[in-house]
Amino acid sequence: MSQYDVIGTRAPRVDAPAKATGRAIFVDDMSMPGMLYGALLQSPYAHALIRGIDVSAALKLPGVKAVVTHKEAGLVKYGVSPARYDETIFCYDKVRQVGDNIAAVAAVDMATAVEAASLIKVDYEELPAVFTIEEALADGAPLVHDDYKRNISAEVHQEFGDVEAALKECDLIKTTSLKSKRQDCAFIEPQGCIATYDLSGNLTLYSSTQTTHYVQRSLAMALGAPVGKVRVVKPYVGGGFGSKASASHLEMAACLLAMQTGKPVKMIFDREQVFLHGRARHQFVHTMTTGVKKDGTIMALKHEAWLNGGAYSSFGIATVYYAGSLLGGPYKLPNMKYDGYRIATNLPACGAQRGHGGVIARSCWEQQLDMIAEELGMDPLELRLKNIMTAGDVTCNDLDMSSLGMKECIEVVRDASDWKNKKGKLPQGKGIGMACGFFVSGAGFPIYRSETFHCTVTIKVTEDGGTAIVSTASAEIGQGSDTTFAMIAAEGMGIPLGMVRIESGDTDFGVDLGAYSSRQTLMTGQATKQAAENVKMQVLDALSKELHVPVEDMDIKKGYIVFKKDKPDLSALKTRYIKEHREWTDNPSLDDELSFREASRIAFFTKGTIVGTGMYKPPELGGKFKGAAVGTSPAYGCSAQIAEVSVDEQTGRITIEKMTDAHDCGQAINRTSVEAQMHGSMAMGLGEALFEEVKFDDKGRLLNGDLAEYKMPTALDMPPMEALIVESHEPNGPYGAKEVGEGNIMPTIAAVLNAVHDAIGVRIHELPLNPERVYLAIKEYREKNAKQ
Amino acid sequence: MLLPKFEFHEPKTVDEACQMMAEYGASAMVLAGGTDLLVNMKKKLLSPQHLIAISRIEELKKVDSSPFGLKIGACLSVSDTASSDAIGKKWGALSAGAKALGSPQIRNLATIGGNLGTASSAADLPPSLMAYGARVVLKSSARERTLPLEEFFTGSKRTTLADDEMIYEIQIDEPAPYSGAGYESLGVRSCQDIKIVNVASFITLDGPGGIIKSARIVMGCVGPTHLRAHSAEKILVGEKPGEAIFARAGELAMQDATPRGAAFSRASAGYKKDMVGVLTVRTLGTAWKEATGERN
Amino acid sequence: MKKIITLDINHEHYEVAVEPNQTLLDTLRYQLGLTGTKKGCEVGDCGACTVIMDGVTVNSCLVLAMQAEGRQITTIEGLETKEGMHPLQTAFVEKGAIQCGFCTSGMILSARVLLDKNPEPTEEGIRRGIAGNLCRCTGYQKIVEAVQSAADGMKEGHQ
Ligand SMILES: Cc1cc2nc3c(=O)[nH]c(=O)nc-3n(C[C@H](O)[C@H](O)[C@H](O)COP(=O)(O)OP(=O)(O)OC[C@H]3O[C@@H](n4cnc5c(N)ncnc54)[C@H](O)[C@@H]3O)c2cc1C
Ligand code: FES
Ligand code: FES
Repeated sequence: MSQYDVIGTRAPRVDAPAKATGRAIFVDDMSMPGMLYGALLQSPYAHALIRGIDVSAALKLPGVKAVVTHKEAGLVKYGVSPARYDETIFCYDKVRQVGDNIAAVAAVDMATAVEAASLIKVDYEELPAVFTIEEALADGAPLVHDDYKRNISAEVHQEFGDVEAALKECDLIKTTSLKSKRQDCAFIEPQGCIATYDLSGNLTLYSSTQTTHYVQRSLAMALGAPVGKVRVVKPYVGGGFGSKASASHLEMAACLLAMQTGKPVKMIFDREQVFLHGRARHQFVHTMTTGVKKDGTIMALKHEAWLNGGAYSSFGIATVYYAGSLLGGPYKLPNMKYDGYRIATNLPACGAQRGHGGVIARSCWEQQLDMIAEELGMDPLELRLKNIMTAGDVTCNDLDMSSLGMKECIEVVRDASDWKNKKGKLPQGKGIGMACGFFVSGAGFPIYRSETFHCTVTIKVTEDGGTAIVSTASAEIGQGSDTTFAMIAAEGMGIPLGMVRIESGDTDFGVDLGAYSSRQTLMTGQATKQAAENVKMQVLDALSKELHVPVEDMDIKKGYIVFKKDKPDLSALKTRYIKEHREWTDNPSLDDELSFREASRIAFFTKGTIVGTGMYKPPELGGKFKGAAVGTSPAYGCSAQIAEVSVDEQTGRITIEKMTDAHDCGQAINRTSVEAQMHGSMAMGLGEALFEEVKFDDKGRLLNGDLAEYKMPTALDMPPMEALIVESHEPNGPYGAKEVGEGNIMPTIAAVLNAVHDAIGVRIHELPLNPERVYLAIKEYREKNAKQ
Repeated sequence: MLLPKFEFHEPKTVDEACQMMAEYGASAMVLAGGTDLLVNMKKKLLSPQHLIAISRIEELKKVDSSPFGLKIGACLSVSDTASSDAIGKKWGALSAGAKALGSPQIRNLATIGGNLGTASSAADLPPSLMAYGARVVLKSSARERTLPLEEFFTGSKRTTLADDEMIYEIQIDEPAPYSGAGYESLGVRSCQDIKIVNVASFITLDGPGGIIKSARIVMGCVGPTHLRAHSAEKILVGEKPGEAIFARAGELAMQDATPRGAAFSRASAGYKKDMVGVLTVRTLGTAWKEATGERN
Repeated sequence: MKKIITLDINHEHYEVAVEPNQTLLDTLRYQLGLTGTKKGCEVGDCGACTVIMDGVTVNSCLVLAMQAEGRQITTIEGLETKEGMHPLQTAFVEKGAIQCGFCTSGMILSARVLLDKNPEPTEEGIRRGIAGNLCRCTGYQKIVEAVQSAADGMKEGHQ
């Protein structure tokens, strides 16, 4: 029996009926009286000077209400990391990527806006451009930004312990590399927004964003408006995965146009623009050297990473730090050295995507560990178990594993997949592989340094006591956070989920940093729990005064007051309630019970509206070294995965037969939602492993800016997936909960790489594993073997 | 993504459609399922002034099977092509091609005529149709002509269609006794995928257990238009079917293929060639099974 | 030039003035307020705009409004009855097949046609039936389970 009434159940999501019936409103479903439509003018060149911009023809087109360029927008620099604010709303001196924004138009309809944008004349002087890491680093290469010498937009050099000394003591030292391709978040809803501006100077932006808070701050900064005059509201959002985690040019332009015209302005990206401005996963190239003892003990890791960052920094500094720091666990690793470089190029900018920074590094290392196990003659699963960290361990780079069910996860997938009878024993062409990974549950600081709370939550009980309204600025983007917080609130107040209503995603509801770094369940969850317990205390406090029962002797469970000792005489209270209740339709509860609703109504008489508040910011986290803030977290979720594949050796086509995944989420708030996150992560990981790659031509133009040629998995490409939940009860999480949204993508690619090797004996060090790459790898392997 | 402006016409009959085409000439295009045309218009690659919608003309949606063969209206949807018993029973490779095309929704809109009209060498239907030796009937207000599908395609995205002419129907002869066909396509994903390579093979034996009397092998994505693997076909004729000779045919088909090594295409020329070999062998295997009555 | 046409949507008749270059998708969403049909790519790749037209699913972004005249169209808004949600909708809610919900309308309509044609689909059959509806959130696992569960439930309901 669970100790909880709501937590840990499979309650249907609170937003599901609206979404199942088409009622849920997404931003492009909204319209407003007098609404104008905006369009962007974007650069056709990857790198060019802007000699002049002539908007006169656009302005003359009937139906055009405003045209804005850098002249109207100003030149305030903004971005994601304050250390690298390197963008302006519109380009003014030069363009740095195809799609860079030059101007925006607002007009009475979309066709007019698009036509007007095409009438703007820009005098460009094309500059030589760099697209690859090699080109960008070459002597005399043109600079994307004058400030980034050698086009290095960020670099990291860290050493924990003494790697060289440790390697000298090793019996086996292995060096391998892995090269990935740029991935796109490829959510199905393109970004969009509607901006409004009223006569009192209030700017309101409805936007499909993951982070209303950062958008609010960025808008205020770039547009020079007081933060208090900027409100950002998030309707339902059709997936984010990282790309919707920072303010976009679309949002900036829409606000500017609304301020210029005084009318609501709607702007929506088309699919190609999503690819151009998505700021999703970087391309990574990792080289790693690992040293182990004969018995499999891991001694040291030396790691170098190169990231192709594109034209702007966006989240890139955090990305390049994460790429190193997330290898600190989940294996005991006493010595680790990391050198990471993020390179600016004239491709569209990259940023954060599910598993931020860590996915390819993890894939590279987990493949390498498999190779090491093979050379040592060990079962790769046993090698991992041998080195596994457990709760209470702290990594060499100060990540504190306050709870860690990593070992349990490995054992669970081992047994569920029948690993022992399959590994190395499947027929040629079929294989099984495994890998592990972990991820943060939020970061210690906001992206900007501040003492701010990371989230504040209020819960307000309605006058009748029948509904508790949870208000949070957190972002439901599909992951199920609204349901999670409604459940936590219900549990915390001791009432059924049906009595809770949640409103979220509006900066007017408080502060919340939003949906990124897998932070909301732990952080907003803590604040929600606190607010709920606060409400409960207030109700019990009022009751205590009426009934003369000490607060400690009462509790609320399943919507009823629990008297831990003798039940007091309730008749006076009941009579009062019934009198009060004459014209209301909802009936009082049975005579000998006192419901939350009745108690709250009574409490209202003395306290007015009951409002509970909660807030959270992480405690001081470990690490005093530079960059310690990227990787340290109040808690870490972890997972182990097993992939089973078959390979058509004649064509190189891989079929994923089955995935078995175990994840330690501390405590499942909603079991169905936890499994759903596990499934979604695996799907995105499998897409990146097998198919996905954003491609450009030799002018930096998109070659596959659509969902036909950018290939994410369809239902037929996805295998059956088994999601197994492990619960290690995280002391820092609400009811013991921690992340589940990103930890699961960490092992997926490596599990596939290792399974493919098990199937055909070939190691592949470049992604994606599309048929041609696999076929060529097989061919090369056979030719090499034939020679020997 | 707005569509450019155009005038919309929806004639009730083929004759009416042909008259409109005669009237508007090069400024008009036929709109069937729209799954190629409307996409190309949205991407601003095409902007005809007139669209003549024909997908609701009943006469164009027929499947007439007779002892002599099959007549398929140009506007038969790809999903109806895939599910038609008449087609599936004797022309299984065509069904296989139809099943491999796009997604369920696309197949419901897309038409067989549109798949030919687009003249893409990656298209899923032409290989099987050509392997079966299909003919197309073209109609205009002035004339009607019938020609082998092979002669219909003149290059990448190019056909012999005149401005005022439409594809009216596709005709396929009843396969000779002891013949069979196979179709295979290779994409990156399992569906919703424009192919990397596709191949259809058709063989006729001179009797049960006999030698190969005739063979047709058609390859896609390895030339400006679908290509016949002539030297592979030649080597098969007169031989007993079997793995060894199929492997030899596969090798020759690779030589018959002329993929472009375009830097930004879906796969390298070398890989495409190798895959032509693999798919040729596989489709010949399917064809052989069917020819010897082992249909499944 | 605009022309007035009559569209038969969810068994109701709508008179609308449309341009020739207007898609059914845009007409549903921006003219008729039937915003349950979503727009994810506009070129037939994602399936978010799926509607049922004369009994089969189509991408409404690739259908001109004028081509839809005289056809029977069902959108997600047409699935509920007086009794409430369609069993597929209920199953999607209960099985956790919905995350962001952007693919959901199209997914449910594809599943509906699938079950109309084949009330007892295999897992593979379900995957084929929804292969034209991309979902980035779920990995399709719970969607497949929901369709299976709705099929089982509907079968029992008939017996
Ligand atoms: C998402 C997506 C996936 C796809 N996947 C595939 C795939 O896997 N395999 C594949 O082969 N194709 C694929 N296609 C392309 C397309 O669906 C097919 O080529 C389809 O058969 C085209 O038929 P249609 O009726 O839609 O043609 P339309 O778009 O209506 O027309 C295509 C061309 O043919 C002309 N035309 C049409 N009918 C006639 C006629 N009767 N007479 C003269 N000219 C005519 C038109 O004028 C136009 O030039 C895909 C398309 C999309 C959008
Ligand atoms: S919007 Fe129609 S298929 Fe994507
Ligand atoms: S639920 Fe988000 S795309 Fe399917």
